[in-house]
Amino acid sequence: MRGATVLKASDDKTRQLNKNTLMAYSGEAGDTVQFAEYIQANAQLYSMRNETDLSPSALANYVRGELATSLRSRKPYNVNLLLGGVDPITHKPSLFWLDYLASLAPVPYAAHGYAQYYCLSILDKHHSPGISLGEGIKLLEMCTDELKRRMPIDFKGMTVKAVTKNGIVDIEFNDDKIVKCA
Amino acid sequence: MFVTARPFSLLPHLPGGTPPDADAEAEADHPPLTDGGAAVAMVGKDCVAIACDLRLGLQALTVSNNFPKIFQYGDVFLGLTGLATDVATVSDLFRFKVNMYRLREERNIAPATFANLVSSSLYEKRFGPYFVSPVVAGLEPKTGKPFICGFDSIGCIDFAKDFIVSGTASEQLFGMCESLWEPDLGPEDLFETISQALLNAVDRDALSGWGAHVYIIEKDKVTKRLLKGRQD
Amino acid sequence: MPGFDFSNHSRNAALHARGVPLPKATSTGTTIVGCLYNAGKEDAGVVIAADTRATSGPIVADKNCEKLHYIAPQIWCAGAGTAADTEFTTAIISSNLELHSLSTGRKPRVVTCMTLLKQHLFKYQGHVGAYLVVAGVDPTGAHLFTVHAHGSTDKLPYVTMGSGSLAAMSVFETQWKPDLNKEQAMELCSQAIQAGIFNDLGSGSNVDLAVITKDKTTLHRGYLKPNERSQKLKNYKFQRGTTAVLNEKIIKKDEIGKYVSVEPLPAGTETMDVDP
Repeated sequence: MRGATVLKASDDKTRQLNKNTLMAYSGEAGDTVQFAEYIQANAQLYSMRNETDLSPSALANYVRGELATSLRSRKPYNVNLLLGGVDPITHKPSLFWLDYLASLAPVPYAAHGYAQYYCLSILDKHHSPGISLGEGIKLLEMCTDELKRRMPIDFKGMTVKAVTKNGIVDIEFNDDKIVKCA
Repeated sequence: MFVTARPFSLLPHLPGGTPPDADAEAEADHPPLTDGGAAVAMVGKDCVAIACDLRLGLQALTVSNNFPKIFQYGDVFLGLTGLATDVATVSDLFRFKVNMYRLREERNIAPATFANLVSSSLYEKRFGPYFVSPVVAGLEPKTGKPFICGFDSIGCIDFAKDFIVSGTASEQLFGMCESLWEPDLGPEDLFETISQALLNAVDRDALSGWGAHVYIIEKDKVTKRLLKGRQD
Repeated sequence: MPGFDFSNHSRNAALHARGVPLPKATSTGTTIVGCLYNAGKEDAGVVIAADTRATSGPIVADKNCEKLHYIAPQIWCAGAGTAADTEFTTAIISSNLELHSLSTGRKPRVVTCMTLLKQHLFKYQGHVGAYLVVAGVDPTGAHLFTVHAHGSTDKLPYVTMGSGSLAAMSVFETQWKPDLNKEQAMELCSQAIQAGIFNDLGSGSNVDLAVITKDKTTLHRGYLKPNERSQKLKNYKFQRGTTAVLNEKIIKKDEIGKYVSVEPLPAGTETMDVDP
């Protein structure tokens, strides 16, 4: 978006940090990609130097540190992030919520910005700890459906990716699906 | 911040200048920057207790209901309320400082020593503070005497013989503790007292609650309990 | 007529728009005083005193805090203003004065302390909110000063500071006289602090008092306790098991060995010299 003009309808707002960690971002144009790719480059550098990947929680805390340092600088990055990953050793999945103030929280499900108000209530009701990938996609469909109904913006659709213990996979996602009943 | 006096306007000493903006100073008392949360520490008989709520929120929106605000550094416990990003930054900072202390000294840090470390670290940022109000609890390693203290955001220590409160529910906690606390409570009674003080205080604060952690610290053991709290 | 009275609303909104701050319900403050005695004589000395209340907005944060700060064995300071600032400025100046005294090989002087304080505070243009009463006895006699946060100072035979300074000064102005002896000066200071404790909302609890003479300093922590909390008649002890617990984890000290190696030294081993 540039002011009120749509520049691109299908922009991938995610960056892969290593084999098993993915980061999604939103925030001020310019800051977002700049910051995300800086983090991506450093995460990849770490993997190359040490021939091992950082765990999602280690990466989340690294990103938080970078953002917290930036917060107290002359021109802080205005970026909100969601960081998801599967621990390469324990195979435990985890999700981290990180806002532009560098508040970090490990959470079972998350959203940023205005979407939180619509999505979190749906997820509060329908999410449970041991759900499968398919059930997760269904939850996302419910969320996007609600966003399309309630958000006063021209919705251009979603990019959906899943982080599994075997790596990151793109998911075909039908954003026009109308959820009739939960 | 704690104040022991406010400069009043009758000052004959000001060389033509205006006194420091009292309102700007007062604004710093209650930083609007807070993510909600409460912490409390209490002294018992040969034991101390420290407790916190579990909510993380942005104004009215709750982001997480599993965000503990108590951190353990060896035998010393630190409770941090205030702005969530600073809670994380400050807790990480003290983890680093305490680890360095242990490497240098080859022993755990004592609560009183840690309190002075917190105090000077916060005062270092006197004119750009972290928005946190810390609480420290522990037993003195040599004597086993209970130690608790609290701080304002710029590091003024409040030594207390009874209890310390902090966070958005601090006023409610003051009321609860002032009535419930009594001297020489044993570990079991101290647990009930601090738990009820915290739970009932956060129930009257929209920005805190959603469960609680309580630590009871005794000479030879530490008991950590997760409390059931209201989920609204 | 039922309902609320909004008649002041538009007036208050207009006042607020013009920059008048909304009224604060309570005031905050302190009472600190100082008084010279036996001035000019061989056994001249000085008394300083303070209340023990610390506030955070309208809340009493600490009911028994220490406002009499050590500078040197024979120089003490009473502090008002931002509590952290009084604590740290006195500590820094105390430290510098000790080094100065060590390098010159002389006892520190009260004027030196006052000068260090005012230079420090002036440098920060009042942003370090320390308002101090400096008192002490040195080889040149007994001295009493006030230092304001902006760096200005006074030298007077009796002084008061803080929000309770007006109440305290009224006591001095009615009862002070030249040639007070030590006991009279202590009583006068104590009365002045009590005037602050009972008439100023920002001051309260106990009277702390320090007497500095040529030979020694005597700190009377809790010189007077006119506001002791009475014994509770009943208690609110909860029955054990009142609180619902979802999860419990006990970490025993002797189990810590599983996580880190803790080896108690055999008796008689040379131990490190550490703080008690």
